[in-house]
Amino acid sequence: MKGGIDFHTHPVLVREMIARHPELAAAAKETFYCGNNFQPLEVMLLEMDIAGIDHAVVLPIDATTSRNATIYTNEQIVEVCAMSDRLIGFASVDPHQDSAPQTLTHAIERLGLRGLKLAPAMQEFYADDRLAYPVYTRAQELGIPILFHAGMSWEPRSRLKYGHPLRFEDVAADFPKLRIVLAHLAWPWVVDAVALALKYPNVFLDTSALYFDNPRDFLRYAMTQQVPLTVFERSLRHQLVFGSDNPRIEIKSMAKAVRSLGFSEECLELIFRINAEKLLERRP
Amino acid sequence: MIIQLHRIEVVSKKDMEMIDITPEMDRLVGASGAKQGIVFVTTAHTTSSIVVTEGVECLERDIPAHLERLAPKNPPDGSYGYYHNRLLDFDGRLGYNAADHLKSVLGGIQTFFPIEDGKVVRGGRQRVYFVEWDGPLARTVFIQIIGQA
Repeated sequence: MKGGIDFHTHPVLVREMIARHPELAAAAKETFYCGNNFQPLEVMLLEMDIAGIDHAVVLPIDATTSRNATIYTNEQIVEVCAMSDRLIGFASVDPHQDSAPQTLTHAIERLGLRGLKLAPAMQEFYADDRLAYPVYTRAQELGIPILFHAGMSWEPRSRLKYGHPLRFEDVAADFPKLRIVLAHLAWPWVVDAVALALKYPNVFLDTSALYFDNPRDFLRYAMTQQVPLTVFERSLRHQLVFGSDNPRIEIKSMAKAVRSLGFSEECLELIFRINAEKLLERRP
Repeated sequence: MIIQLHRIEVVSKKDMEMIDITPEMDRLVGASGAKQGIVFVTTAHTTSSIVVTEGVECLERDIPAHLERLAPKNPPDGSYGYYHNRLLDFDGRLGYNAADHLKSVLGGIQTFFPIEDGKVVRGGRQRVYFVEWDGPLARTVFIQIIGQA
């Protein structure tokens, strides 16, 4: 297998960005709730090297209404991407704000970002709430994917109720051309998330799930026991992308765990590279 | 009396890696002005070690390999696990480095050497290594020099 894309990283610990924008330190610690030390960007790139990953999608979260905070603005994502051509920037918008569709258009058309990140639990909205529909309409028009946080959330203030996969069914059904990725396998509701992906070809899942034990044993449980591996291999191989959720876990550890599950080489190529490349293509 | 505390940054590039920091220790002692005294070398982290051994590439492979056997990142299937592999609420993430903490305990976090005539006194084959157990990461090592001019 050659190269690969990590579809789910948060650049919250990048030291160079903290030096330029000190408010990002509070966003990392208090809003994103990550207590690890800040590190030079070089460390993330080295980790990608070890994991055999060429590129990483870097994600912001606009939680202006719910938390009075942004975990990277769209402009800051552009800034960190300028530090390395191995980073692929996504945008985020606050669905509570009327200007969200315009903000999204600006981020894609002017800033050159490649997709949209939404985190319903942190942003405090249900994915099927009609308040977010103008954002989905615009994303569909722009032909970009949406990566939704789904399933459990670590942050103390983020409620699990916002992450249930069935809250995404209306979105998948009402916007059939909109490609949506449910992050973290929507754990613990992996069966529900798989059902959604089986039914709706515009629903994708990412592998960035780790809530107990270790990456190998956790993914083995979620992807071979909660749902048989054959379901992913045979039915969802075109709808699964590799994601690590770095820095909540190391890229190298998640990549090694996914590769250890028993997927065919063809399927690993799809998970690690091809599916992500296709998602990143604009399809207005 | 000379008391100096230096913080040096070491960037590891691998999962596990032995990085020779002897030249930096020697340089700081030489520049300190201390003719007689002690130099302490201490890692600031709990998933790294300070180790003294012979400076040869073969040992730089053997030592991490042996510690990995003693404290494997993933224990053999069905054998045992680590309590530390759980949600660490203070970090907002799962602890997946129990084995790296154990390696740090086994390897130790500190060493010290005497200073004589303004130089570090060590055996001809002894080198001081910062050992990374959970890399790549940017790390801090304390070098404290206590002595007399």
